[in-house]
Amino acid sequence: MKSQVKNFNVHNFIKELGELNTKLIKGTETLAAIDEIDVGTAPKELVYEEDKLKLYHYKQKGKVTCGVPVLIVYALVNRQYILDLQPDRSIVRNLLQHGMDLYIIDWGYPTKSDMYLTLDDYITGYLDHCVDFIRKRAGKDKINLMGICQGGTFSAIYAALYPKKVKNFVAMVAPFDFSTNDGLLFSWAKNLNIDSLVDTYRIIPGDFMNSGFLMLMPFTLNIRKYVDMLDMVEDREKLLNFLRMEKWIFDSPGQTGECLRQFIKDCYQGNKLIKGELRVGDRLVDLKNITMPLLNVYASADHLVPPAATRPLNDAVGTTDKTLYEFKGGHIGLFVGSKSQKELAPTLAAWLHKRDGEDQTKASAKPESTRTEKAGRTTSDRKRNL
Amino acid sequence: MESANDYFDIWLKSQELVFGNLTEMTQKFQQGLQGFGGNVGGMPGFGGFQDVYTSWTKSVMNALQGRGPADMNFVKETLSKTLTGSTAYQKLHEIWLPFFKAIQEKNASPNFYKDLTDPAKFKEMLDHVFGFDPTAVSQIVEQASKLLETLAGYSQGFMKPWVDAAGKSSKDFPNMMEGHPESAMKIFHSLFSAFDSTIGRVFHVPAVGKDREKIELLLRSLDDLSVYLAKRTEYEHTMYVTGLGAFEKVIATVADKVSKGEEFERFDEFFDLWIDVSEKAYYALFQTQDFSKMQGELLEISVQVRQHSFKLMELYLYDFPIALRSEMDDLYKTVYDLKKKVKSLEKQLGKAHS
Repeated sequence: MKSQVKNFNVHNFIKELGELNTKLIKGTETLAAIDEIDVGTAPKELVYEEDKLKLYHYKQKGKVTCGVPVLIVYALVNRQYILDLQPDRSIVRNLLQHGMDLYIIDWGYPTKSDMYLTLDDYITGYLDHCVDFIRKRAGKDKINLMGICQGGTFSAIYAALYPKKVKNFVAMVAPFDFSTNDGLLFSWAKNLNIDSLVDTYRIIPGDFMNSGFLMLMPFTLNIRKYVDMLDMVEDREKLLNFLRMEKWIFDSPGQTGECLRQFIKDCYQGNKLIKGELRVGDRLVDLKNITMPLLNVYASADHLVPPAATRPLNDAVGTTDKTLYEFKGGHIGLFVGSKSQKELAPTLAAWLHKRDGEDQTKASAKPESTRTEKAGRTTSDRKRNL
Repeated sequence: MESANDYFDIWLKSQELVFGNLTEMTQKFQQGLQGFGGNVGGMPGFGGFQDVYTSWTKSVMNALQGRGPADMNFVKETLSKTLTGSTAYQKLHEIWLPFFKAIQEKNASPNFYKDLTDPAKFKEMLDHVFGFDPTAVSQIVEQASKLLETLAGYSQGFMKPWVDAAGKSSKDFPNMMEGHPESAMKIFHSLFSAFDSTIGRVFHVPAVGKDREKIELLLRSLDDLSVYLAKRTEYEHTMYVTGLGAFEKVIATVADKVSKGEEFERFDEFFDLWIDVSEKAYYALFQTQDFSKMQGELLEISVQVRQHSFKLMELYLYDFPIALRSEMDDLYKTVYDLKKKVKSLEKQLGKAHS
């Protein structure tokens, strides 16, 4: 068929290209004027340190209305400050406003000297030490555990191994059933020779992980995002928000080899956690031991941890007080989306408040006032409480 | 703030360059627009525009090479990614504009548009999306060839077949980079026959010490590299073919719209369409078991290349008074075991005291 109509406004097209370049020039100027990208700005205090791990306690300006402290356990992949990326999009600030007493783990950036750290070291070592420290500091037998993404998987393992130390367990966008191929990472991990990778690198570079994440949506994440960014270059605040997210995306610590080896082999490839076959150290992990109340949050459009990997936890645990919460959005939107701030954070706070009963017996440890107390009997320069 | 001042000095100079280029760009842009009515498909003005754009992005990136304050490196990285993103956008423009011109004059048949596609530009655009760097691999091989030549100097001609093979291979690289798996296989075979006529025989002769070990390992690395290149070509080929499939779908959608007499007001409409269609096409590819396997194999081969090069490095460094990687690994293991023991003892002690 012969097309005689003017279907393309080529004049406009060329003009658009010119506009794009003008924006690019302005964008370069604006970018050059920015010399600091601030993230994770909610006031907090370093209270415990062990090797490269740091445990922070957020400063509560208002009144603590939820008596049991909450420990946020983020993934080893990327950084925990996504929960406090910018002041107006901060789950942390939101929870603080709802009267929570919050702690957060910063796993740090591993180096080659950490290459032998195992899943066991992270869970029954570092995580358990943080939990014990908070229990002692707060004078509580149990604390609330809020595990996010891979940190949610770690927390589930922990809650199954130490149910007596966990009052309530909140899992957010965390994978438990790895048999699904809904998410590309799940499919790709099944054909990954993790032994070769770990034996070669020891610490798997963050860039390697990032290239995998970028491949999930290559056109959107490598092109569209940056072309769209040019539309906001004249608004410094919007640009700063964009840069904060960029900073988080590319702020990727390496992954300790031995831990990743077991995580890929036993979880992604063997799906042992949900099958009750996972061993951490010399202990078998039985999810039925999760007898405390459970809130399992998944994101309906999560392309990193698909709902099919998250939801099955509720059928595997031993508790009867279990809630499955669907967040309508994606993995990242769950942390920084406006809906997350309006809906999710208040829901989390309400759920925890409701289960904040005074069934706690005082721990044998001293109460919170003993802030400078040593956690271990002997304290080396590598392990100290602040 | 000295580094910041340096940075801004460099920046100021780049601005001068930018303005010079901008003036030139504006002139060419105007010329392009003036000549637009008669010759958009040929794009004489547009070509100039592209040149200026390219020189501008280069000058900006060169200017940003200087050191800067704390977060400046990160900002520079973001800018670099933005330029990469907009370059891909630009390439898309280059590919599409001839269509826009032609579509108003010829039959709106998808095959016609397909014939107009410039594979080189198309490939370049996808390289920007996936970060493929054809020169990187060529450089590795070039370097390896040079090393072989150097080694050949003291290995009494033993390496000659390898030098010849590397020389032959380098001729095949341009083809291989265009996505012809057979070129990669040619390289592989050429290297393999060199292997067969040298190392194959050497395995039956008495050892001649560390030098022979080094050479063997180097050849093994090159052997791995050729296998890696073959797999990588297969991988890139799959990516290009998928991109082309997506492109054809975009063309079909455009043709459909044209046939209905619908108008495209803005290029962004194409951009969105192209992104959406491409993303879906690649998602479908990435979901397949075949792709997952191919990616796993590619990764494993690349890791093998690295493993051999690490071993080679150790062999070369063995006689020097420095700690080797494997020795450091042992040290780290000892430190790890000791720390674990200390922590366990601390815990026991804490329990005993409480």
